[in-house]
Amino acid sequence: MVSLTQQPSTHPLADLIHCLESGGALLPDSPNNVLEVVGVLKSYGVVLDAYSRNLIYIAEQQFLVLFPFFKYFDGEISLQKLLRHWWHDRINYEYAEYCMKGMLWHGGGGLDTYLDSAEFSQRIEAAIQAKIGGSPMLALHKLFPDFLPEQVRQLAYYSALGQFWRVMSDMFLELSDRYDRREIRAIADVVAHIRDALVEAAALPITYAVTIKGEVYEIIPKSVGLTFLQDTAVPYVEAVFFRSFPFFGTVSYNAQAHQISDKPSDFSYGALFADPLPVGSAGIPPTLLMQDMRHYLPDYLHDLYMQGLRGEDDLRVKISISFQKSMFCVTTAAILGLMPHPLNTADPTQRQENRTYLEGWMDRLSDSRLADVQDE
Amino acid sequence: MLSTLIWAPVLGAILIAFLPQFANSERARQAALVIAIFTLGWTVFLITQFDISDAALQLQETLPWVEPLGLTYRLGVDGLSLPLVAMNSLLVAVAIYSSDPKINRPQLYYALFLLLGAAVAGAFLAQNLLLFFLFYELELIPLYLLIAIWGGAKRGYAATKFLIYTATSGILILAAFFGLTLLSGMSTFDYAALQSQVLPLGTQVILLVTLLIGFGIKIPLVPLHTWLPDAHVEASTPTSVLLAGMLLKLGTYGLLRFGLGLFPDAWRVLAPWLAAIAVVNVLYGSFVAIAQTDMKKIVAYSSVGHMGFVILASAAATPLSILAAVGQMVSHGLISALLFLLVGVVYSKTGTRDVTVLRGLLNPERGLPLIGSLMIAGVMASGGIPGMVGFVAEFVVYRSSFSVFPVQTLLCVLGTGLTAVYFLNLVNRAFFGRLPESLENLPRVYWRDRIPSVVMTILIIFLGLQPSWLFRWSEVTSTTLGALTTRPVAQLTPLAETSTVSFPEISPIPNPVFENF
Repeated sequence: MVSLTQQPSTHPLADLIHCLESGGALLPDSPNNVLEVVGVLKSYGVVLDAYSRNLIYIAEQQFLVLFPFFKYFDGEISLQKLLRHWWHDRINYEYAEYCMKGMLWHGGGGLDTYLDSAEFSQRIEAAIQAKIGGSPMLALHKLFPDFLPEQVRQLAYYSALGQFWRVMSDMFLELSDRYDRREIRAIADVVAHIRDALVEAAALPITYAVTIKGEVYEIIPKSVGLTFLQDTAVPYVEAVFFRSFPFFGTVSYNAQAHQISDKPSDFSYGALFADPLPVGSAGIPPTLLMQDMRHYLPDYLHDLYMQGLRGEDDLRVKISISFQKSMFCVTTAAILGLMPHPLNTADPTQRQENRTYLEGWMDRLSDSRLADVQDE
Repeated sequence: MLSTLIWAPVLGAILIAFLPQFANSERARQAALVIAIFTLGWTVFLITQFDISDAALQLQETLPWVEPLGLTYRLGVDGLSLPLVAMNSLLVAVAIYSSDPKINRPQLYYALFLLLGAAVAGAFLAQNLLLFFLFYELELIPLYLLIAIWGGAKRGYAATKFLIYTATSGILILAAFFGLTLLSGMSTFDYAALQSQVLPLGTQVILLVTLLIGFGIKIPLVPLHTWLPDAHVEASTPTSVLLAGMLLKLGTYGLLRFGLGLFPDAWRVLAPWLAAIAVVNVLYGSFVAIAQTDMKKIVAYSSVGHMGFVILASAAATPLSILAAVGQMVSHGLISALLFLLVGVVYSKTGTRDVTVLRGLLNPERGLPLIGSLMIAGVMASGGIPGMVGFVAEFVVYRSSFSVFPVQTLLCVLGTGLTAVYFLNLVNRAFFGRLPESLENLPRVYWRDRIPSVVMTILIIFLGLQPSWLFRWSEVTSTTLGALTTRPVAQLTPLAETSTVSFPEISPIPNPVFENF
């Protein structure tokens, strides 16, 4: 006899699978968790806004500038800004570039495919000729014909990540506003807000054009059909949340001793796996993001952090822990948004497909920091 | 002038102990600190009055006291005692500063600390044997109480053991002093008068051996050392700082002042044995330190090892080696004080000193990064890394002792290598790696926890880079003291004739030898 009710999962993370199936999230619901997640996403939204503007600025205004000394200045160069830059009391745009390079390296999605297409080559050749025509750089381009196209591919990722973060930034700031209006009260509300925003922006076109000598060159035209969800959000989650680069300086790996997998798809060094407690000295990439966020923490979150034993001393670790919690909410939203069938479907076959889909995610998350965020 | 160093803290101790307004812990601490800093300032003033080119006792004070007993209140300072007096004033201030602000029975605690500082200063300054003995014994009482009242779980055992050992040490020293006075037919215990004694060498050797055992307990010499690790482990951090930094130096100071100073001929006979004991101290202390897992015991046994260097240099008894002995005393005082201070902070924040439990404390956000960095500096200094005072002192110890005891010196050099073994082991286990979950939420470290260690580190590096400031005070005195063993033996006795010990010719060091550092 076939049972009409679904059998419980036998997956090691079955509890979480059941939780997701019944509308829960990867992060347990608690008032502190909501406060931490919303608070940290607010500061993340502010930082992402700056990252996004800068990435798009670099893609559009620093096109094939091979020595972009002032690329972090968004076109406003002043002595005051230069001194501030050197003093390092600034947004660490380097972190945004690390994420961009992670995406460039791991690829995936329609953008990756398009950047290797003949159409892309034709389009950028015109732009390259327009940019360097008549300069000695042309000889360099002839000598190394792959060099400049690869630079443009990277600039395409600058632009794509900039556009992705533009949406995410607005969404996180909107989340914060809704929290302030008391519309967000539980982790499920946070996840729903993110999921809805992702679904709403899913079909948003990703395009990239540069203006050279007054003429517009479309590097990624709308006709290519790249969209927000499948071509930036999914590759971003894959590259930055899951695989990423080994976070520099956090742990030393010996690749020759096979401590790093030969297959990039097996990499698990992303944000969901990173140890919030840095080992060794400061200044590693995740710390850069936390350093940026600490300037924009809402008061209620700062007050919560100050209740800890160490006050300001370990602020970046606390932000890192909260950030990881919030990223599990974003991951939940992404998992739910990409679900093959509606969560509440009554069809047993669809339910089973959903179950298999969720178990696939849980396999990947089994070594992540998921267990550590379940404590509270 | 010198009396101020003794009586200002004593007066302060009485005021703090009996005035009711000091029942408040913080107020008592502040008052004690003011007195300690005043004493330190007075010491600095005395240093400016000190003439480094004069080998004689300076700033002398004499008052008749109990004439029939030969006891006079005679104080004086020379190049041998000045650096130690200065370090005593500094360490008392540091120890009081680093005391727990919420300590129980603050009046008694701070009064005892000041009394301890006064007694140690008195012992260094006393120029009458009986007066020295009085201060030497007086210092036991506050130290015993500091361990017995504010110590760890087994404080009763440790304090009693300390008292029994050091009281025995006092009895032996008193016996030697009495023996010297009686046998030489003197009616006074004044140091200067007794220096001219002409006892037979055999008698001198017996008296010196008695003194050696007496001071040997204090230094401590292996196998008389067993009280030290127990006392250190149970003592609170400020007490450990003074115990390692100053109290052990009373032993080596006593050896040089009274052993070498009063019995130079017998010293020649016993020196090779003393050098051998130094080797045992260095190697035994180092090997036992390697086997320890309690950070405080590691530092305590490293003290046993490093005091061996002082013994080696003292045994060699050349002008340069005595200078080296004084330098090593100061160097070890500063370094061991730093290490005990740091271990104290680690213990107060983590609740353990066990290096098998501690890990990753250098973590920049959640660990003790500055304390860890200073610990690395401290163990580098202790391991004799150039640029720090440990290197300068140990280098001069080896340089000066090698010509007299080459084999023993080389064996002691091995001890410096072993220092690196146990201290790197300590740093590697406790400070590197990932902070374990049990230590992820350590309490905050405040600047008041850090300042004493920072001050000690600055001094350690400063004297490492500018060693003439370490040695200049003692050059003339050590030349005089070192010349004692090279003078012709006045009276040859059968024991001296049969002695096969030969001493190489020692040329006095050019003066001032450290001007070029």
